[in-house]
Amino acid sequence: MRRLFESIKIAFQSLVSNKLRAFLTMLGIIIGVGAVVAMMSIGTGAQESVINSVQDIGSNLIIVTPGNRQEQQQGFKQMLEDDRDKEALKVEDVKMIEKEAKLIKGAAPAVLSSSIITYLNKNTRASVYASSEKAEYIYNFEIEQGQFYTASDVQNSANVAVIGRTVINKLFGKIDPIGKIIKVDGKNFTVIGIIKSKGTDQFGNDQDNSISMPITTAQHKLYGIDYINMIIAQSTSENNMNQASNEVERILRRAHNLRTDEKNDFTVQNQTQLLDIVGTITNIFTITISSIAGISLLVGGIGIMNIMLVSVTERTREIGIRKAVGAKNKDILFQFLVESVVLSITGGILGILFAVAVSIILNRFTILKPTISAFPIILAITFSTMVGLFFGIYPAMRAARLNPIAALRYE
Amino acid sequence: MEENCKDNNCIIEIIDITKIYRIGKIEVKALRGANLKISGGEFVAIMGPSGSGKSTLMNIIGCLDTPDSGKFFLENIDVSKLNDNQLAEIRNKKIGFVFQTFNLLSRSDTVRNVELPLIYSARGAAGNRKTKIFDSLKSVGLIGWEKHKPSELSGGQRQRVAIARALVNDPAIILADEPTGNLDSVTGEEIMAIFQKLNREGKTILLVTHELDIARHANRIIYLRDGKIFREEKIDMPINALEMLEKMPKLEDKLN
Repeated sequence: MRRLFESIKIAFQSLVSNKLRAFLTMLGIIIGVGAVVAMMSIGTGAQESVINSVQDIGSNLIIVTPGNRQEQQQGFKQMLEDDRDKEALKVEDVKMIEKEAKLIKGAAPAVLSSSIITYLNKNTRASVYASSEKAEYIYNFEIEQGQFYTASDVQNSANVAVIGRTVINKLFGKIDPIGKIIKVDGKNFTVIGIIKSKGTDQFGNDQDNSISMPITTAQHKLYGIDYINMIIAQSTSENNMNQASNEVERILRRAHNLRTDEKNDFTVQNQTQLLDIVGTITNIFTITISSIAGISLLVGGIGIMNIMLVSVTERTREIGIRKAVGAKNKDILFQFLVESVVLSITGGILGILFAVAVSIILNRFTILKPTISAFPIILAITFSTMVGLFFGIYPAMRAARLNPIAALRYE
Repeated sequence: MEENCKDNNCIIEIIDITKIYRIGKIEVKALRGANLKISGGEFVAIMGPSGSGKSTLMNIIGCLDTPDSGKFFLENIDVSKLNDNQLAEIRNKKIGFVFQTFNLLSRSDTVRNVELPLIYSARGAAGNRKTKIFDSLKSVGLIGWEKHKPSELSGGQRQRVAIARALVNDPAIILADEPTGNLDSVTGEEIMAIFQKLNREGKTILLVTHELDIARHANRIIYLRDGKIFREEKIDMPINALEMLEKMPKLEDKLN
C-alpha cells in the first residue's frame, strides 16, 4: 500500500515535470472519453425526452395511419401505388373500432393540417388538429379555460375551436379570447377554450402553436375531404397493447373488405413499438459514436505507449540507480505501470470533465438535454484504466528488464 | 562455515572467481581467478589500470553482477547462487554505493534521494525513516540542505548526498567507485575525510580509484592487473584527510 502511494507520487512528479508532454499524450484519451461520455449523455437525454413526449400524448395509445408502412419502405414504385391508400381511413372506421373492439376503451379520428388563423387584422399559421370530443382524454388535450367541443358540436359540424397559448399570444395579446370570432382559412369560428400549454417537443416544435376543432367541421367546411389522417385508440390496459393492436387490425381489414391475400392499406402502431423504435435508434447512435470514440481511445493508448517508451529510455539511468539501491524488477515494473495508468486515468477524468462541460453548454443553448449518468463515467474510468494497463505493460517490462550495470553507465 | 573464512570477522571472501564477457565473437576475460578477503571495519583501496577488471570486481562485490565461476561470500552468504530478487535485497540492505558521477535523482531533493533505499526495503516505519534520514544526513554534514535539489548543490555536496544515501540502510559495506574522480582536490579530500570518519565509526569501506594519493587514505591497497590480484600493500600510516585539509587552502563549509 505504501509502495503504491510512493509510485503514484513518483508518477505525478514525472507528469508535473513534463506538463505539456503529458497533456498532449493524454489528449487522445481525453477526446475519446469525452466523446463517449458526452454522446452517451446526449443519447440518454434524447431518449428520455422522446419517451416523455410520446407518453405526453396520452397513455396506452394505438395509432393507425393510412398506407402500408412496411411496403412504403420497399421502394419508390410501391410508394406511388400506395398513394391511393392515403384516403383509406374514414370516420366510419373509428365508429367500427369503438363498437366492436373489446380491448379498446375509446378511439378518436384526426385530421392534421395547418391553416392561417386571423383575428381582426392579425394572422398567424398554426397546426390544425381536428378530432372528436374523445380527443380531450385520449390525446391529453387539457383545457385550461373554457371548454372542449362536445359530441353535438361534432355531430353538427359546429364552427367552434380551442386554441393553444402561442396562437393566443400572437393574435390576442392580453385580450381574453373566449367567445371571440376568429377566421380559419377565411371561415368564422368561435373560440370556446384554451388548451393547456405543452411546451416544445423533442424536435423543437412548438406544441402550443395549435388549434383544434370538430373533425366534421374540418372535413366538410375547411378542407373538403371525407378521409382522416389518423386514428388514435386507447387500449384498456398497458399489458394488452399488442393484442389490442391485433384486434384493431382485424376490425379494419374487415371494414375495408380486404381479402386474405391482400395487404393492409393502413399501419397499426402502438406506443410500446414507438418507444422500441426510439430505443433502437438511440442505441444505434450510441454504438456508432462509442466505436468511433473507442478508436480514439486506442489511438490515445498508442500515444501513451509511445511516450512511456521514450520515458523509459530517458530515465534509463534513474532505473539503474533505483536498481543499484535495491529496487527489484517488479518494483520498476510497478512504477512505470502506475505511471501509465495515472496518465490514462488523469486523461479519463479530464475527458469526463470535458463531457460534463459540453453537456452543460448543450443544456443551456440547445434543445438537447444531455443526462449524465453514472454508467458512462464508470465505463470511461474502467476503459482508461485498461488502456493504461494494456499499453503500459510493454514499456514497463522493458524498464524492469534493464541490466543495472548498463543502465548506470547510460548517458 | 567455509574453512577459508576462519576469523568470524570476515565480511567479504572471494575465491577464484572468473568473469568472461562476449562482445560479438570476441571473448573478454575480465576476471581470471581473483581471490580476496576483507575483514569487517577495514578500509581497502583497489587500484589498477583500465581493463584490469576493477569495474567487474566492483560490480560483483556490489551484487550487480554474478561471477561465471568461483565463490563469493558476503557476510558468509554465498552470493553467487542468488537470483535477481535476492541480489536486489542484498544491494538494498548490505551494500551502499557511491559513484564517480554521484548518480542522484535530479528531480528529487536531498531527503528524497537519501530516502530511496528505504522505499525498497520492507522494514522501517515512516517515523523510523525520518530518524534514519536525519542521522545519515548529519553524519555527512548536510543538515540544512534537506530541500535542495542536486542542481542546487555543489559537487562535494552532491557526493555527500550520495554517501548519505549509501549509509541510510546501515549497510555492512560501502562501495565507492572513484568517488573523488569528478571533484577538485580540496573537495575530494573532504569526501575522503568523511570516509575515514565512517571507517573509524566501524564501517567497512571498499574504494576503487586510480589515484595513488587517494588510495593512500586506506589501510590496505590491492593492485589488480589482467583480471587477477597482482599485489597487496599494507599502509601503516594512511594519509589523514583532516590533517591534509589543514594544509590546504581554506574551504567554505566546515566538516564536523
